[in-house]
Amino acid sequence: MSDAIVMEQLTKRFGAKTAVDAMDLTLPTGALYGFIGPNGAGKTTTIRMIMSILFPDAGRLSVLGKASATESKDRIGYLPEERGVYRKMKVSAFLRHMGTLKGVTGQTLKTRVDDWLERVELASVAKKKCEELSKGMQQKVQFIASVLHEPELIILDEPFSGLDPVSTRLLRSLITEQHAQGRTIIFSTHVMAHAEELCDRIVMINQGKKVLDGTMDEIRAQYTARSILFNPLDEASGLDAARALPEIESVEPRDATFEATVHPDTDPQQVMLKLLTAVPSRTIAVRRPTLEDVFVEIVTTNSGGVKDESALRAELRGEGQREEITEEAGS
Amino acid sequence: MKRILRVATREYASTVLTKGFIIGAFVVPAIVTAAIPLIVILTNQAVAPQVKGRIALIDRSQMVAVEVGKRLDLERAEANKKTIEAETAAEAGGDFFERMKQKQLQRVAASTAILTLETIDQATTDDEAKDLIRNDDSSGDDSLVAVIEVDADAVAKPQDQEQFGGYSIYVKPGLDDRNISFIRDAIRGSIKTARYAENGVTASEIEALVTVIGQDTQEVTATGEREGTEVLRLMLPFAFMLLIMISVMIGGQYLLTTTVEEKSSRVVEILLSAISPMQLMSGKILGQMGVGFTIMLIYGGLSGGALLVFGLGDVLSVQSVVLLVVYFVLAYSMIASLLAAVGSAVNDLREAQALQTPVMMFTMLPYLFWMPISRDPNSTLAVVLSFIPPINPFVMIMRVTSTAPPPMWQIVGSLVTATLGAWFCLWIAAKVFRVGLLMFGKPPNLATLIKWIRMA
Repeated sequence: MSDAIVMEQLTKRFGAKTAVDAMDLTLPTGALYGFIGPNGAGKTTTIRMIMSILFPDAGRLSVLGKASATESKDRIGYLPEERGVYRKMKVSAFLRHMGTLKGVTGQTLKTRVDDWLERVELASVAKKKCEELSKGMQQKVQFIASVLHEPELIILDEPFSGLDPVSTRLLRSLITEQHAQGRTIIFSTHVMAHAEELCDRIVMINQGKKVLDGTMDEIRAQYTARSILFNPLDEASGLDAARALPEIESVEPRDATFEATVHPDTDPQQVMLKLLTAVPSRTIAVRRPTLEDVFVEIVTTNSGGVKDESALRAELRGEGQREEITEEAGS
Repeated sequence: MKRILRVATREYASTVLTKGFIIGAFVVPAIVTAAIPLIVILTNQAVAPQVKGRIALIDRSQMVAVEVGKRLDLERAEANKKTIEAETAAEAGGDFFERMKQKQLQRVAASTAILTLETIDQATTDDEAKDLIRNDDSSGDDSLVAVIEVDADAVAKPQDQEQFGGYSIYVKPGLDDRNISFIRDAIRGSIKTARYAENGVTASEIEALVTVIGQDTQEVTATGEREGTEVLRLMLPFAFMLLIMISVMIGGQYLLTTTVEEKSSRVVEILLSAISPMQLMSGKILGQMGVGFTIMLIYGGLSGGALLVFGLGDVLSVQSVVLLVVYFVLAYSMIASLLAAVGSAVNDLREAQALQTPVMMFTMLPYLFWMPISRDPNSTLAVVLSFIPPINPFVMIMRVTSTAPPPMWQIVGSLVTATLGAWFCLWIAAKVFRVGLLMFGKPPNLATLIKWIRMA
């Protein structure tokens, strides 16, 4: 199977700022790839280069076997992060317009628009103006616009931002379905949980550089578990007993349970058995590292502990204040 | 190309099919056209209120009193006659406009003042005359409407005196200006008649002496003579220039607005996933050119139609109409591509104001040059401006439609320079457009724009 996207030493600068820094990346066909990283990491710039909306300053790029996406735009579906609709246009007219621009015409186009609207439960608003739709509805319309031409490669930039839980679930199932049909999908997000639930492969980007690239399992294997979640029967004596164990570094409350962090050179499985003997607990489990943990570890290590961990975590959970991503041409 | 046309079609339809455009392009001109006869009718409808009363005359010349009396009576008699005629005519029927005209005459005649003249003592001073009006407490037919004072030398003057004397008129407050002119006409006419009699001439002799009859100017052309419609000839270049200017401005303004809207509604990146910035810009420019052309067709068609109706169709030549279209395309390409660039660079319309002003200036400049160029279409100024884009299409269309069209080499030269100008503007616009579309945040200044042009 050929690779959908190949990047070699891809670099993009905006004035003095290097948005994407010598990126090497190969995306196999058929993969569901997650681009993750905090706001301003370079995800959107990378995607815009893939889409030939921006052009790299250095390096080589191949998209669907072509040197640039301009030659294969009809085979790519793109949902940009900065997205909107023609406010005064009717929903179905907007979709037909977008479909025509992507080379779908005639009866095929009409049938597909109707089918899609039916599927996302928007058939009733087909004749309404786009401005009359809620933001969630508009997002659905934009998603349809990006897949209407049944592309081989689908690129979704922050597809979940601003969606309510119901719409998020719908979109997630649509993405999984497109993937199941054999399409290559890339989506970027700064919310790690979304990537973790959906992706089989992850690229982590920070400050324009690729810091991690692999399957979810590889990543989890690489970053071994170092914490045990437990719920002591007797909290008062139990916590003290746990802290007394030499293999355990610290015990902190976490959500409704407690989290014990084990020493790096011990086996968490063994420590868990010891902990269970020492502290009778209702529940106990080794906690697998989440992407968020991995990411925070990488970023804090790289920046020498300068980054504030809790602020970073808040941002990665989508709680932080969303900043408008602006690309100033260095003024 | 198919996609460019698709963008153009959407652009055209989404502009032309809006209420704003339809109202602006059709309804407003229609209302203005319909309003003109309405205003005329309304103006004519209003007649002066009929005034009744006395006029006091202090005739120091002792030569006009009789004539004034005669004239006032004559006017009255004349009015009565008209009333009767009009009534008869109205009853007799005729078409709607004829009946309207007769009704109007009837109304005017019926409102003519009924005034009785009385002569008072010549010794009455100005102040006493004014007091007469002030102290008059009679009402209705008896009220004193005006006091007229005719100077002693109003009709006959000493040999060494250069000018004749005149008259003064004092009126009661609130007297309608149309009634005042009625009285003034009577008094002025009386003084003139008295002067003619004094000098032994008649009014018709004087009239004959001061009237010079001249034929309409005839323009001698290669094929023969034709009526010189001088005003039309001066207005024609202006009309052609204005037609291009309006079409370019409307198309360009819409282009700017829709570009800013596409950017601020964030629809632009979705579009860029399907087409390149160059395709998007070309499509939009093409679509709005269609809008400008529609405007030109509406206004140009109406004006051309009017000329034909009035039998003045021969002032339009096929060449000038063809050049009108060609120069419109060139002028529009230059102005519109710059406006597209402005639209792509800013975040909202307010920010666009500052950057679009210099571009719009280009479309206003030809206004300044209208008079000098239409007076002297082959002056050095006109020739030089014919080769300077982006104003040369405007200048050249004025020269081409003027009475002294420029030589062919200048027309070709202007077409070449304008085409180069259009190419250059499109080239700049494409660069700014590509970079500007995805830039949000601080609006760029000129230095940033130049950097973008270098960058892209």
